[in-house]
Amino acid sequence: MTETKYLSLAQQVLEKSKDKGISLAEVFLVDSEELTIQVARQKVENLKLAQESGLGLRVIVDNRLGYAFTSDLSEEALNKVVEMALHNSRESVSDANWELPAPPPAYHEMALYDERIFETPLEEKILFAQEIEEAAHSFDPRVKITERTAYQDSRYQICIFNSLGLQAAYRGSYCGGYAVVVGKENDDNQTGFAMQYALSYQELDPVKIGREAGQKAIRMLGAKTIPSARMPVVMDPYIVTNFLGILQNVFSGEAVLKGKSFLKGKEGQQVANPLVTIIDDGTMPGRLGSSPFDGEGIPTSATPLIEEGKLKGFLHNSYTAKKFGLTSTGNAVRGSYKGTPEVGITNLYLKPGPVSPEDIIKEIKKGLYITDVMGMHTANPISGDFSLGASGLLIENGEMTRPVRGVAMAGNLKDLLLDIDMVGNDLTFYVAKGAPTIRIKSMSISGT
Amino acid sequence: MMDRKDIARILERAMGQGADFAEFFWEHKVTTAISCEDNRIERINSGIDEGVGIRVMSGDKTSYAYTNDLSLHRLLEVAEVAGKAAQKTNRSFRALDFTTPVSNLEFTVEKSPDTVDIKSKAAKVMEANNAARAVDPRIRQVSVSYGDVIQKVTIANTNDIFVEDTRVRTRLSVNAVAAEGEVIQTGFQSVGGIMGFELLEENDPASLGEKAAQRAVLMLSAKPAPTGKMPVVMAGQAGGTMVHEACGHGLEADLVQKKLSVYAGKKGEQVASPLVTVIDDGTLPKKFGSLRYDDEGHPTEKTVLINKGILEEYMYDYQTAREEGRESTGNGRRESYKDRPIPRMRNTYIAPGKEDPEQMIKELKYGLLVTAMGGGQVNTTNGDYVFDVAEGYLVKDGEILHPVRGATLTGNGPETLQLVERVGKDLGFTIGVCGKEGQGAPVSDAQPTMSIKELIIGGTGGPGNGQVKIRRV
Repeated sequence: MTETKYLSLAQQVLEKSKDKGISLAEVFLVDSEELTIQVARQKVENLKLAQESGLGLRVIVDNRLGYAFTSDLSEEALNKVVEMALHNSRESVSDANWELPAPPPAYHEMALYDERIFETPLEEKILFAQEIEEAAHSFDPRVKITERTAYQDSRYQICIFNSLGLQAAYRGSYCGGYAVVVGKENDDNQTGFAMQYALSYQELDPVKIGREAGQKAIRMLGAKTIPSARMPVVMDPYIVTNFLGILQNVFSGEAVLKGKSFLKGKEGQQVANPLVTIIDDGTMPGRLGSSPFDGEGIPTSATPLIEEGKLKGFLHNSYTAKKFGLTSTGNAVRGSYKGTPEVGITNLYLKPGPVSPEDIIKEIKKGLYITDVMGMHTANPISGDFSLGASGLLIENGEMTRPVRGVAMAGNLKDLLLDIDMVGNDLTFYVAKGAPTIRIKSMSISGT
Repeated sequence: MMDRKDIARILERAMGQGADFAEFFWEHKVTTAISCEDNRIERINSGIDEGVGIRVMSGDKTSYAYTNDLSLHRLLEVAEVAGKAAQKTNRSFRALDFTTPVSNLEFTVEKSPDTVDIKSKAAKVMEANNAARAVDPRIRQVSVSYGDVIQKVTIANTNDIFVEDTRVRTRLSVNAVAAEGEVIQTGFQSVGGIMGFELLEENDPASLGEKAAQRAVLMLSAKPAPTGKMPVVMAGQAGGTMVHEACGHGLEADLVQKKLSVYAGKKGEQVASPLVTVIDDGTLPKKFGSLRYDDEGHPTEKTVLINKGILEEYMYDYQTAREEGRESTGNGRRESYKDRPIPRMRNTYIAPGKEDPEQMIKELKYGLLVTAMGGGQVNTTNGDYVFDVAEGYLVKDGEILHPVRGATLTGNGPETLQLVERVGKDLGFTIGVCGKEGQGAPVSDAQPTMSIKELIIGGTGGPGNGQVKIRRV
């Protein structure tokens, strides 16, 4: 869709809302294209081309919120969406804290679009996916099966107009690749996974993705369970970002308001080891979670959540900020045009420390280096309880000695934050979450 | 709905580059979502999502394109792009002779969600909320979420299949939060089916709310789960997460054919205890995972996967069936027009046995009784799986000692199925949304009460020793 057509559509919906007597209305429009190439045995197995556009309308009528969306952008559908939003507002509770943001003075200038991704011919992208696979298989002859290797890219335009005169739009893009391969030896099959996503095509390294996946599969061959014990645990950056994925709920101002965060009321208190600093920053150059504004058109910002172990604050959209008597942190996030802007993350990361991952491992007499977990989605962000299937490598006398699988690792997030006693210097981002290697003083590991 | 002639033209265009199969999938989905939190209706969201996905296959290459611009010239363009991306074969296009296969499931939706106003839906949400809040003063928060969807599809392909269908699903879930001092616990309960608003007339929202709240309160007094291996009894009411993870995924033909499943190459072999029969059935009336036709227009069916311990069948979609020159089992599903179909479960269950469930619990000497399962996950390549225990008890000499919290059970699929010692005569279903390759599919699963010799329990309470006081409940 051309930018002009796009902006005029948003304007039209605002006018239609006004005609219906709706004084507060906000239109969110997205138009996107996506390409996925999946390769196995050096052949393209699946190729996917996507085009999607849609519109979401949020209205506030007599302090009541209503929302409706449509993928059909015809005149008739636009009339319908206004009616549905109005209709939906009637049964919602009246709440004076609902408001739409006024136009901000300015937005950050950000380089979020890389033309080179779209100038690159399809053949070269296929080659890219083939290179990932080739690198995984040439890492070791025991890498036998490709579950999936893929190249992906996407470009999109986003626009938010509201009836207070806010008019914001930007376009962005990203690209990346991933590999899931299986190492095979005798009757043993083990999986290895790696991925890389970036804003610029130049940054991508297919060989690195492939080698990492191959290495991860091979090092798990012959994995066995271990007896139950409490022991120090080292988590690689990917696992730590998985935990950040659960913690993001705990940092949500919405969860705090609803009594669903165990950090409620703990501002200023020591909630984590002093080595721990966690930041959400939507303004980081070159990161996938960066954007000039959030899902309500409010400029993104850097928000310290935990600083040297002390809780500094929470993430907010305009509603939760108002309830707290604060200003929004620019963390209204929309999954798509189908949903209301809810509190979420931009780039969430754990700040790196001074120690190399090797030095962290070197200091452990007996412990577990965790490289994969199962069931992270069953961790409970409200109670903080988690119990996960885990696999990784056994650490004995400062060295990784043999692969371990089929154990369970349990604890509570509250304790986990306090028990982090080493933080590595290897900050690594996976899409919009980043972390270094960390060590947990002691955790309960269940095995035989 | 779209015109048959136009669809035929689109398919012809997709085949024009020399492919050997093309498929057209149109979807029009109207959804309504209502959520209650803080004792009030906060969000009401409804909308329309409509689009077309075109799949073209030639040899083992598949290309898929989708759009929600539904003008004929745009669809012809998309068909051409998808067709170009597939490799060329020498097939020539023949005129299509559309026919509609007969479905194995017939039912009517009594109260289509579009005939019920928002006010009545919101009232049911509040009934669940009010009942949950009335359970105990320690209930601090209750989130109720209601959702309904009316999905219309038209599926047509160059094998002459033409299917038009309307699928209606309704769902209500309650998540209750209880707190006492520093301890916060949650309880979850949900109900859903291929039903309209009658779902909430047949299933009382208030009792759903009560159950969720009671579980949250109960968990406040729970002790940390033990660590290590111990015998487990899974109650029939606990649901079927275990069967879904321990063997369901591993029996999907795409994973089998890629040798990414521990069950690959084992048809005809004993893969489970002779007490275990596993069935995936898309034709069960009202169940959340039921469908008249799968998302490739193939009638769904009742598929016996494991019969008395012997592996008999995998779950196939069109592509995996074609690979073996056989018929699909009607397991080709997709989340929406944005996704290509892949083999997925429908309603998966272990067939009931003969034993009395109460007796099985009474005869548990020392171990874990699971009365509600949460989510789970599996690595099909090595068969390792986990599932979350939403409600469980430590049992000694058939008596409940105390509830436990924070437990995940870890096992290996084929090993666990061999360790099944007793199978009860009951059967309890739970609903869920299963995720695979980033696509969500509504499913249900069920198990009878089962005794498992031992599983690894991932708690924090240290090794269990059985020396705990008995508390009668």
